[in-house]
Amino acid sequence: MNRRRLLLLAALAAGAYVVAAWTVAPGFFDGFAPPQPYRWLNPPAGVKNAGTPASGSAQFKVAANGQVDPGTVFTGEDQPQASLSVIPGAFQPPSDRSSVTVSIRPAASYPAPSGLQCVTNVYLVTSTSPLVKDALITLRFSDAVPAPSDVYRAPESGGGWTKIGNSGASAPFYISTRTTSLGYFAGCFPGEAGKTASGVRVGGSQTLPVIAALAILLVLVGGIPLAMLRRRGATEEGEEGPNPTRTGGRP
Amino acid sequence: MRPALVRTAPALRPFGLAAAAIGIEFARVLAMRRMPVPGALAGGGALLLLAAGTPASRLGLEPGRLGPRLLGTCALAAVLLLPAAVRWTGQPPLTGWFAVAAVVVAAGEEIAFRGVLFAALEDALGPAAAVAGSALAWTAAHAMAHPAAFLPAVLAAGLLLGLWRLAVRDLAAPIAAHALADLAL
Repeated sequence: MNRRRLLLLAALAAGAYVVAAWTVAPGFFDGFAPPQPYRWLNPPAGVKNAGTPASGSAQFKVAANGQVDPGTVFTGEDQPQASLSVIPGAFQPPSDRSSVTVSIRPAASYPAPSGLQCVTNVYLVTSTSPLVKDALITLRFSDAVPAPSDVYRAPESGGGWTKIGNSGASAPFYISTRTTSLGYFAGCFPGEAGKTASGVRVGGSQTLPVIAALAILLVLVGGIPLAMLRRRGATEEGEEGPNPTRTGGRP
Repeated sequence: MRPALVRTAPALRPFGLAAAAIGIEFARVLAMRRMPVPGALAGGGALLLLAAGTPASRLGLEPGRLGPRLLGTCALAAVLLLPAAVRWTGQPPLTGWFAVAAVVVAAGEEIAFRGVLFAALEDALGPAAAVAGSALAWTAAHAMAHPAAFLPAVLAAGLLLGLWRLAVRDLAAPIAAHALADLAL
């Protein structure tokens, strides 16, 4: 099979790839498991909802040394959409030494996030005993919306939303940070609410479109001169006749 | 010293290599569920070890041909990234140790599937079997990590990269394009 036919087959395979990749969510994860579809309480316009988001709860016992045990509470999805991890003694031990119950549930009503575009569900995290040390809050976000820039928190008793930061992702499509108190949590970025996902790019990266555009540009800019040089080389070789050093003939 | 697997009879070698590469990929995915970065680094490293004793020229990795390889990288990366780029919603690219792990996995997969396995299949069964067989084995290796709906795209990407490998006798461009795709997506 000659090279031209092989490259034609490669072009057909490229077309097949584009069609096949178009039918699934963007991503070529290669073992960095693709995220399960996000479960929205109120999906953004034009975004498919994979179902109702789950709640989660856990009980943390008081150890013999009087400290509340460490642990993590997750929401119930296979890939939890929200979790809270605590170190030993993170909660004030109840006077009767009973267990501390921590709950995470998606919240339908919460303080309005003014000036923010929230791109995760809002989760209300509560405990039966106050938090006295930092805890790690982790939220998963959808691959169908822009990535949040930070985790924001609002007190359960009412009040505004506060940026509590972004300590980096433990895995793709997760955002984490430490919190000193519980309440409402969401992944958001500064921006006007009500914009469509496709119209908002503030919190996300433009790396991929830039790489793709540069790759196409380089192929066009570099490929055309290379093809011309090859054609010119082939023409000159044809005009000069067979090259004895290349064909192995005698001079 | 050449590993025992490489010294086996040429007709059986592709099947042994395919089973080994797919097994490593499955183990890597399982390991990554508990330890994402160490699991990826170990799995990618194990795939690279399959090439031990194989000359660079048999893998399509002999030095030179920088221009065509750079263009090939750009062309292949453009194809792999295009469907996601036009629907892009701003996810951040992989960074830090995740990025290192992604590059190691991409290089390991290309060298195992379109390097060593491709060469063994070509020796035993010819070039068409090398392209089809390496793409099928690569797709099977992704079955654990990806939902079934993703597998046609993985197969088509495997055929594209395998055809490039056959037409240009080059693996550098598929490695670079694969790594770019993993980093950016």
